Amino acid sequence: MSILQTIKDKVRSRSIHVSYVDLGSCNGCDIEVLACLAPRYDIEQYGIYVHNNPREADVLIVIGAYTPGWQEKLTPLWEKIPDPKAAIAVGNCPISGCCFNRRGAYIDPPVSKHIPVAAEVPGCPPRPTEILAAILSVRDAVFANWEGRQR
Amino acid sequence: MAASIIWYLREFFRPGWLKKFLFAKTAPLTTPPYFRDFPEPTGKPCQHALFCMMVCPAPGAIDVVMEEDGWRPRIHKGHCIRCGLCVEACPNGVLRSGRILETRKAEGTAFIVTFRISIDPDLCTGCGNCATSCPVNKQLDPQIGAGGHSSNDEVIMRVLDGDVHVLHEEKCTGCKTCEVSCPTRAIQIARILEGTQQPQKGGGQ
Ligand code: SF4
Ligand code: SF4
Ligand code: SF4
Repeated sequence: MSILQTIKDKVRSRSIHVSYVDLGSCNGCDIEVLACLAPRYDIEQYGIYVHNNPREADVLIVIGAYTPGWQEKLTPLWEKIPDPKAAIAVGNCPISGCCFNRRGAYIDPPVSKHIPVAAEVPGCPPRPTEILAAILSVRDAVFANWEGRQR
Repeated sequence: MAASIIWYLREFFRPGWLKKFLFAKTAPLTTPPYFRDFPEPTGKPCQHALFCMMVCPAPGAIDVVMEEDGWRPRIHKGHCIRCGLCVEACPNGVLRSGRILETRKAEGTAFIVTFRISIDPDLCTGCGNCATSCPVNKQLDPQIGAGGHSSNDEVIMRVLDGDVHVLHEEKCTGCKTCEVSCPTRAIQIARILEGTQQPQKGGGQ
């Protein structure tokens, strides 16, 4: 690994920009993502910033069970995110549909059918620490030496 | 002047302060031991009572499967909502999660299951299949034969004068054999799961 790459990795690992999108959920997981921003967990001390703008995001946090309204919207949103990027499914909803997954329901989980998901955080809702740990592990797995692995 | 600038520089570039400023300060990435996490096995043998599956509110979160060394509940992450009801409902203490088992012991809470037998008299033909197939009946009155007639009034149900009569609903174990053997689906077994709490010794509140 070149020195430039090492510096890039170092900087990038302290500057992860997160965008989150709720595909139809009970709002419980949104509250837990919000709790990550609060002083108790303070996500910014790890160099993770929540912007909610896909064009400057590295990580997309996906919450919710994929309602029909998202059919034409989620994939374009995912494509707007510049590489390197990773999606994290937070909560049971994007994994299994959780309590909304009844027979004949309109939702269409899992979200990994629609966009590539790098990590899943089960729980209804998951603890903020679990969300944080997932973002940190994705950071190490997806963003480290990204240019080197592209070649 | 110079001394004061140096003083400020030294003040702002204290190594401890820089470290605090640049690196993560709090360590919240630990889970406290009382957190009600996904249920985990305690190692006690599962008796296949299936109370966990009965009480679980989340679709597809728990099933009880046969493995080499016996029955075992399996929790599916991504489905389980960590409500802890299965831990509380299990009569054999097979699962543990957070402080649930301790709380259950301290407060004397439990889930009990009762079964209710309902027979639709319009559909029932009085064939006695239910009374004959019931394994509890068979134990109580080994003489019970086709037709479901029995002279023993300890049985759960028996046929009398062409009609089936339920005598001891409370002995039903909920196996639903009768439901399966009834040709007209006249008999239905309802499982009723209810939470109980024993009054505290020493008065409580
Ligand atoms: S996983 Fe549970 S808490 Fe999270 S959005 Fe779905 S239903 Fe709500
Ligand atoms: S903790 Fe709740 S949701 Fe999870 S398996 Fe047990 S009963 Fe089901
Ligand atoms: S459910 Fe089983 S135990 Fe209960 S009455 Fe029917 S056969 Fe008998």
